[in-house]
Order: sequence, then structure tokens, then C-alpha cells
Amino acid sequence: MLIGKAQPEDMVLHPIRYQWAYDLYNQAVRNTWFPHEIALKEDLDDWAKMTEDERHAVSFLMAFFNPAELIVNRSIALGMYPYIKAPEAHLYLAKVMWEEANHCVAFEYVLETFPLDRAKVFGIHLEMPSMKAKEDYIFKYLRRMTETILDIETVEGKKDFVRNLVATNIVMEGIWFYSGFMVALSFRQRNQLRNFGSMINWVLRDESLHLKFGINLVHTALEENPDLLTPEFANEIRDIIIEGVELETRYNKDLFPRGILGLNADYVNQYVQYVTDRRLEELGLPKHYNAKNPAKWMSTATDVFELVNFFEAQNTSYEVDGHASGTKKEKVAEAKETE
Amino acid sequence: MEIYIKKRDGTREPFNADRINRSIERACKGLSDPISMVTQIATETRLILYDGITTEEMDQATINASVQNIKEDIEYDRVATRLLLKTVYRRVVGEFENKEETLEKMHRDSFTRYVIQGVAEGLLDTRMAEKYNLEKLADCLDLERDELFDYAGLSSLLNRYAVKDKQQQPRETPQYFFMRIAMGLAYNEQDPNAWAKKFYDKMSRLEYVAGGSTNIHAGTPRPALSNCFLLEIHDDIEHIAKSVADVIKLSKASGGIGASITKLRAAGSPLSSNNTTSSGPTPFAKIIDTAIRAVQRGGKKKGALCFYMENWHYDFPEFLDWKHNAGDDYLRMRTANTAVFLSDEFMRRVASGSDWYMFDPKDTPDLNELYGDRFVKRYTEYVGMAEAGKLRIFKKVPAREQFRQILVSLQTTSHPWLTWKDAVNLRALNNNTGTIHMSNLCTEICLPQDKDHIAVCNLASINLATHVHNKEINWSKLESSVRFALRQLDNLIDINVLPVKEAEAGDKENRAIGLGVMGFTDTLEKLGIAYDSDFAADFADRIFEFISYMAIDESANLAQERGSYSHFVGSGWSRGKVPIDTLARLERDRGIPLTVMKESRHKGLNWDVLRQKVTKGMRNATLMAVAPNANIGLVAGTTPGIDPRFAQVFSRNKISGKYLDINHNLVLDLKNMGLWEKVRDEIIEAQGDIEDISDIPEHIKKIYKTSFTTSPFAFIEVAARAQKWVDQALSRNMYLETRDIEETMKIYQTAWEKGVKTTYYLHMKPRHTAEQSTTHVNKAQKMGKKGFAAAFGRQQENHPSAFGGISKLQPSLLVPSKFEGLVPNTFEGLTPTPSIPDPIVLKKETPSPIQQIEVKEAALVGFSSVAKAIQKEDTQAEMQTEFAERSSAPVAVAQHPKLTVEDILAAGANAGPEDPQDQFICDSCQ
Repeated sequence: MLIGKAQPEDMVLHPIRYQWAYDLYNQAVRNTWFPHEIALKEDLDDWAKMTEDERHAVSFLMAFFNPAELIVNRSIALGMYPYIKAPEAHLYLAKVMWEEANHCVAFEYVLETFPLDRAKVFGIHLEMPSMKAKEDYIFKYLRRMTETILDIETVEGKKDFVRNLVATNIVMEGIWFYSGFMVALSFRQRNQLRNFGSMINWVLRDESLHLKFGINLVHTALEENPDLLTPEFANEIRDIIIEGVELETRYNKDLFPRGILGLNADYVNQYVQYVTDRRLEELGLPKHYNAKNPAKWMSTATDVFELVNFFEAQNTSYEVDGHASGTKKEKVAEAKETE
Repeated sequence: MEIYIKKRDGTREPFNADRINRSIERACKGLSDPISMVTQIATETRLILYDGITTEEMDQATINASVQNIKEDIEYDRVATRLLLKTVYRRVVGEFENKEETLEKMHRDSFTRYVIQGVAEGLLDTRMAEKYNLEKLADCLDLERDELFDYAGLSSLLNRYAVKDKQQQPRETPQYFFMRIAMGLAYNEQDPNAWAKKFYDKMSRLEYVAGGSTNIHAGTPRPALSNCFLLEIHDDIEHIAKSVADVIKLSKASGGIGASITKLRAAGSPLSSNNTTSSGPTPFAKIIDTAIRAVQRGGKKKGALCFYMENWHYDFPEFLDWKHNAGDDYLRMRTANTAVFLSDEFMRRVASGSDWYMFDPKDTPDLNELYGDRFVKRYTEYVGMAEAGKLRIFKKVPAREQFRQILVSLQTTSHPWLTWKDAVNLRALNNNTGTIHMSNLCTEICLPQDKDHIAVCNLASINLATHVHNKEINWSKLESSVRFALRQLDNLIDINVLPVKEAEAGDKENRAIGLGVMGFTDTLEKLGIAYDSDFAADFADRIFEFISYMAIDESANLAQERGSYSHFVGSGWSRGKVPIDTLARLERDRGIPLTVMKESRHKGLNWDVLRQKVTKGMRNATLMAVAPNANIGLVAGTTPGIDPRFAQVFSRNKISGKYLDINHNLVLDLKNMGLWEKVRDEIIEAQGDIEDISDIPEHIKKIYKTSFTTSPFAFIEVAARAQKWVDQALSRNMYLETRDIEETMKIYQTAWEKGVKTTYYLHMKPRHTAEQSTTHVNKAQKMGKKGFAAAFGRQQENHPSAFGGISKLQPSLLVPSKFEGLVPNTFEGLTPTPSIPDPIVLKKETPSPIQQIEVKEAALVGFSSVAKAIQKEDTQAEMQTEFAERSSAPVAVAQHPKLTVEDILAAGANAGPEDPQDQFICDSCQ
């Protein structure tokens, strides 16, 4: 069982029961990157040329992302990690938490570099009702894991676990973040904030794995606990997701009170609906919006391999574990040579 | 909400849909389905309007709307290009729509003004006005050639190369641009007008393209026209300081730099001036790494440089870490690149399993100057001294271990690039002027340098693809392209002004040029040849022999007309040698035969006549070098250099923007077969790899492989065969899927054995990429999971149905073999890596044969035949069918109890391309 109270036999990695979690861990390690690999000078030059509305959108995004990354960590630490038994999942979650910390520091790095009033940016998520509502939503489900704690071995306890998981992983990381990434990458598409765009590509690469993990987790939890498979609970989960979309819709109106070239609130919200349909389907729920992807250009931004001239932009597709492959073989070869 | 547009003069006017539509209509003229294209672009433009949008942004919005549809039909590329051209025409020649005069005439008439005003404002050289009959040249401009561009090319040209005004807007149209370069390289001709026209005709037809720096600076008052600089940094503080200054100045002149740091003494090496020790090469390199960041090359991008080190340097292990992403920032080069200069002795020691020694260059100062057997002799002596305890410091590792470390670093950071000192030096015809200590930033230049000479190279590239007609190379056209390009490059040297006197000396004394090619793969595709076939290698051999022959002949002609270069006497040329003759010398020195086919593949070129001719004089020390031309290749709309297609569709992350690159040759072939619309989404889904798309016939798949499905040995074979004829080198990009270090070592050893001089980037296929946005994604479905669908009491028919007509997942390590085991047996042949099915899962999950057939049919028939739905207690999901889309109204869907969620999801994955009207349907649905 993946979810439940950890027993002494859950403290060793072998035998690995959830290979997907271990594979995710290994890939995540290869994906390791650091904010300082990104140089922001050219982006600063772009910033100087951007319109007020464009700057507003970028700082608003960062005002959301910076605390959001840490909220995800709280949710993992307090609402997921303690109730998961498999050590391979713990390994991955530990890496995820480092990644979220790294993302937070990455946004911090951008905030420190750009001429922004940081106190003001950090204040936005406390003052802006639409942004605050999003955070409250996450905390609502997390609180049930930290304050009104139900026994994880019971059906109700497991339901709380899934609710929190869906709110954090599917809605926050899988929908809200994805709409934010699309907005951030749209600047790159217009040849602005190129290096910031590279950073977002890295964040998106990490988040794609987080989401893969979350979806695996939901499916495994459902398979192992058929008691959860009721129409009522399924509908409740759908409603949780739809509620998240409604919050996002309001937030996007504040993100784009007017519009900028290529983007406005309606456009972003259509994208949110498109992504939400995808998430619903991935959970085995029917589409809710039947929305089409308005951002066809995302095929250029994320869907295909990217060819980079190293002296033009940061290449974001390199992986760091060159030692892993071939090591064994090499040893064998060396042994042979000495024979 | 009413939308107002902010005009250039600041006034506001209501958005006029009609006017926009008409302008899009004009751009769609002559295309196959203009009406639906206009609708599509207008609709999507409408989606991103906002109140207060400026006129410029409106133009950009329509262009963006066209661009994002290129993936559906490459005709949108045409539209985007025309819309972009329109903005340029309007800016440069003035408002032209609804005028009595034709655009052609206005474009012609404005040319003189462009030159005269440009000269007056100091944007153009005074010779541009003095030397030419501007009216006559204006008559030569051919506006129709603007139709040769694709969007990414035009956009890059304008962004990177066009002369700009103070608002950073282009001052020239593409045809003015080509004419500027042609004129800027013909000042010193006896008949400047005639030659400017000849050069213009070649370039504007994209038959060859000048190098980047030439494109930026030709015809301007600051003609720094060279592309590459190669400088040595000597082991004294004065010279290090001078080198930093030189690097800054050369970067400013928009050249890429190679810098050898092999001579710098090791960390801990004693200094003579006092009793302290040196900090080694790293901190000095870091100064330069920082310096190039500060310089905006040509005002556009930061400097670019590659450090070269020989691997016998004591600090070489530290050098290997320079590009790692973790670690002390002061010990890492964030901007500069690195390359290693390997000797044959090292490669032999790798093969024989011997040790490799590293020394402090302070103790072994002559090693850097030696190559071939003289290097071996001296190196062996130093090894003896080291073992006898006569050297202050040395290091020793198994040579194979160091080779492995180099390749591990290459795999994880794409650095250092591997280049071979002995192949470079022993095959050089210009080695009478000293040792070649490095290659350049792009590893195609092989020129010597010393304290008084910074090597300089001047580049242009022949576009092979524009020399193919009806599956035939037009050889006489190719010959004239080579001859004109060579003359143009030779002219360049006398006009060139360089900011450092050592570079001036290197340039003027050697008159080194590097004529390259682009469009190699594009040409292969047009001829129907697969890159990884013997035919491609033979074709490379043949084409390079021809170009080499013509280039040498033309330089010899120019020598007779204009005189030889200063150091001609004593060069290989003067002894009647041509590049192919130097293979024997390399072979002799190595003592091992080169494993490359050495004969000629081109009939009818009399090399003996040419050998005679070159003894009488050569105008240039070197003639050929195949640059990567990632940018000018993009401008010309062809594959860069000798590179394969990265993928059939991929994105280019460029300074001028991020472009989707889609292989037009493939699209046209698929269109002709009536397959394009059927498979286009699958091609994106498969990230540009068509190998597993069942609808595409095998013969097409053979020709259109991606860089990761082409054998890496093919890259080496093509480079080795071309290298036979090329006196300098080729930028050989490598692409690998395997991460097996043993295999990688074998690949690079093969390159050395075949006499390849240099390799360039190693592109590793990513094992994991971010979730796709515009394709159908359902991770649960790929895993064969039902999730909450199971809560609605349907039977557990758990079969992943995605493998029917849908492309598979990348064969990625991330897909655990367990999930593949879930695939029903009948589909096993289609799985990326057939694996042993997990017995437990299979027992429970294997669907009955009947179900399999149903799945297959559902996936194949897809959407169009029948409407499907999932029925739930209180929700009814409406699935839009292709049918419904066409009838432009949402269809309430009939219940179809036999279908499962998977069937519907599978059908969703097969859903046809998006219809222009879709967005309205969706919006009205809500």
C-alpha cells in the first residue's frame, strides 16, 4: 500500500514496489539545475523597453509563484509525506521539495536582479483578493491534514489525503502553474525575456515530473483503495478542480486588467480551461469545458526539441549524470585489460 | 467592448476588421485556400486584440497569428513572410497600398535615397555613393526575390543583419541589404558596378550567403568583416593583459574567438619575479569569460569565445570542469566554450591502454609548438624525465581514463569539443608560417598564430540547395557560385578594417578565407538520398571535390591577376600540393592507414593540371572551411552546413526569436501523397520523429530521419569524406541518443581514425521533456489507468488503446517496462522496446481478442464515423467530432454503451486538426 501509516518494513528501499516513483527520482536528479546558470542582463534590457501592463504581468506572476512554490512544499511536508509509506516515493518527494525551494530561489534571483520593489511584490499575495483566494483554497485542504487530522487508515482519512493532493498537485501545480508558464513563455515568443524564458523551461520540466508523480499517486491510491471509487467522491474531486479554475479565472483578470500584445485575460482563461479538461481526463473524469487550445504557438515553445546555439542562449536540455551510464561496462573493460 | 487602435501619431481610431481582413487577403494571394486562411488568421488576431493596441502591435498580431498556424500548413509561412515584408516596405519605401505607382517602382526609386541618406547619416560608407551609378544598380534590384524567404529567415535577416535607424527599425529591404553587401565588397574592382551586380545576383538568389560579420558591416563606415579570430595567450602577465584587451576589441568587431591557453603555466608553478606561485590558467580565463559578457557584438549579442587547451597540461582536469553547472563560480566559465586539442600520441595511448602524463608547460615549453613525430619524441623524453624524478611536478592517469572523462564531460555539458592537433597540422598547406595551436569558436578554421599574428578568417557559404534542379546538380551554376564567392571573399580582405594590429597582420599576410557550404541535407532530401547511406557519403565526396577544385583554381587565377599572398613561397601550394595530397603525410606520420576511402568520386577534374597551376601562385593561404552557419543557413531557409535535420519539426532558440522549424521537403512529399493533414499532429506529438507513424511509407522514413535516429557514424563518414578535399576543417555537430560511454568513445575514436580534424557540439537527445501543450496528452491513458472512471460502475476493460494509429511515447527510460507489458500482444511489435510483460499484470488485464479488435477499430476509425460519449448520472460530456466541427455546431452526442472511456480518449488523440471555426464553437458552448 502506498498510503497509510509507515511500518518498520517501509524504511528500506528494496524491494522497490513503485518503480515509477524511483524512475522519477532518477530523472529528477538528472534534471538538476541552478538559477545562477541563467544570465539576466539581456532580459534587463528588455524590461526597460516593456510597457507598464507587461511589467505588471511579469511582477504579478512572480508575486504568485514565489510564495506558491513554498506553499507546495508545506503541502508536501505536512499533507503528503507523512501519509505515504513507500520509501521510493519519499526519495522523490525529497527531491521535489528541493526543486520547489530551487524554484523559489530562482524567482527570488529574478526579483533581486530586476528593478522591482520587492516588498511591494511580496505584499501582493497578501493584499490582492484574487491571489489570496487561491492561497486560501490550498490551505483549506491542507488544514484538514494538519488540524482536523483523520486516521489515514480510514476511508475518510484517505479522502482527505486525495483532496489535498488534488488541490495542490492537480490544481496548483497542474493547472495554475501551467497557465503561468504559458504567460511567461509568451514573452519569449515575442523575443523578450529570453533568459527568463529558459528558466521557465527548466521549471516547467521539473513541474511536468511533479505532475506525473501526482497523477500516478492518485491512480495508485484509487486502485489500492477501491472504497474511494464512488460517484460522489469522483464528483467532489471534479468540483474541487472546477472551483480552482474559477479562482484562476478571477486571478487572471487581475493579471491582465487590460491586455498586452498577444495575451488577455479571456485568452489565458481559455487556456486554463483547455488544460483543466486535460487534467480531468487524466483522472478519468469527463472533460468539462471542451475548450480548444488558443495558444497554438506553444508547440514552438514546449512541444518539440529545441536546438540551441550555446553562445546564443542557455541550452536547457542537458542532463547532469554522465557518470551513470557506462560505468559498469568500463569497469569490466578495465578488468579485462589488466588480466 | 469596443476596441480602439492607437495610431503612430498618437490618435485613436476604432478597430476596423475590414481593413485588417483586406490586408491579410492580399498576403494570401495565390495560395491554395486563401479564404479559409484569411478567416483563420483574422479570427486568431481578433482573439488577442485589446483596447489601445498600437498599429505596430496590430501588424505583429496578424503575423503571430499566421506564424502559429505554420505547423498546420506551411503556406501560412508564406503569409507571415509577406505580412512582415509589408511592414518593412512601408517603413523603408513608404505607404504603398492604394498608390498609383507600383511597389516595384517605389522600391526601385527609393534605393538612391537609401544610399545617399545612409551616407549622410554616417550609416553607410562614403564609397557607397562615390563608386557607383546608383540609378543603374537600382534597376538591377529584383523585388520578386523577396518571395524566396521563409518567415524565420526574413525575420533573422532583419533582426540580425539589416542596418537600423535610431528606433532600431530596419532601414533596408532585403534586396537593399544584398545590394549593400555586394557594393561593400566591390569598391576596389575596376568595374565596381558590374561586379556589384554579379555579387548581388548570386546572394539575392540565395546561391551563396556571406558570413555574419560581413552581413552586418559591409558597406558601413566600420567594415570589420571577418568572422573568426584565433589568438594565443602567452605565459606572461603583459601578454595576458593585452589578450584581454584584444578579446574585447575583437568581440566588438563581432567576431567569434578561439583562444589557446595551453601555454599558461600550471597552478602552483613558481613565478620568477618573486617567490610566489602562479594561480594557473583558470582565474585568467575567468577574466576573459567575464570580459566577453560585457561586449555586445555588433551591438546585438554578447561576445563568443572558445578556449583551447592541450590535454597534456597539468591543469587539464580542472579545465574539464570549467563548464559544469555546479561548483565555485570563479572556477567556471559561464559564457566561454571549451575545446580540447588532442594529439595522435594520446589517441594511440588510449588504444593501447597506456598511461598519459600531464606536465606544467613552464617545464615543457616546446610541446605546444610540436606536432607529429617530433611531438612524440619530445613527449616521450618528458615522460622519461618525469619518471626519473627530474620534473618538479607531473600527473599520470591511464590515457583511456582521461578519454572517458573528456567524453563524460562532453555528454553532460557538451564541452570540451574534441579537435585533433596532428590532423590539423600535418594536413595544413599553410604550415610554413608556424604551428596551428587551436581551431576557432566553431571548429572549422585551421590557421597558425604567434605573438605577432592573430589568425583571421573570412567566410561565405554556398547554398547547395539552390543549385538543385529537377533532381540534378547544376554544376556550371555551382562553378560560377564558387568563383564569385571566392572573388568576393578576396575583395573583402582589402576592405576589411580590424581593431587589433596583430589581427590586421594575420589577415593581410595570409589572405585566409573559408568558403563553406550549407544545405547539404536539404539537397540530399531533394535528391532522395538518405543521410546515413553510402550514397550520401559518395555525394559529399563528389560535391566537395568539385567545390575544392573550383575554389583552388579561382584563387590561382586571382594570384595571376592580383599577385600571391605574402607567405606563398614555402607553402604546400608552392610545392604543387593540394589538400587531397596531404592525406598521405598524415597517414605516414601516424603509421596507421586512415580508414577513409581515398579515391575520387568526381570524374573529369584534372588535378594534375591544377597542381601545376598552384605552383605559380595562390592568392589565399586557405580556401575552404565549412562553418556551422546556423544563422545564415536560417536566413537562406536551408539546413545549416553539413548538419542533418535536427528533427522534422523542432524549435530554434535564437536571439532573433524562437522559431518552429518544419521540414518543407517532407511536408511537400506528404502533401503530394495526400498524407499531410492526416499525420501532422502525430509528427508534433512524436517531436519530429516520423519513424513510428504507421501512415507514412518506409521510403519516406528512410530519407527523413532525425539527427538522433541517423547513425552517428554517418556524421563521421560525411565529414571524413568532405575533409579529404577541404584544406581547413568542418564544424561537425554530433548527435547522440546513446549515453553509453564505451560506445561514445568508439564513435570519437572512429572520427580520429578517419582523419576528421575537428568535431563541434555534441547534442544529446533529452530523455525527458516537459509536458506538451498543443498535442493530446493523457498520462493516465498511457499508463493504462482508469482512475475515477471506474467509479461509475463500468466494467474494468483496462486496455491502453493509444497504440492503434497513434504515435507512441518516446522510447524513454522514464517509461517503465511494466507499463509496456500492459500492451496487448497484438500490438507488441509497435512498442518502442519490446519488453517482457509483467506476468501478474497481464493475467489480470489482458483483454480478450475481440476487445482488441474493437480497440483497434476505434482508434483507426477515430472520430469521423461515429459520435461517442461518456454517460454519467448527472453530467453528459459532449465530445466534438470532426463531423460536428464541419457542420459548425456542437452536436449533442448519442450514447454508445459499448464504448469505454479509453475508446473515447483514444479517439480524442486521433482527433483531426483544429478547424478555424472551432474557437467560436467552444466559446459559444460555454
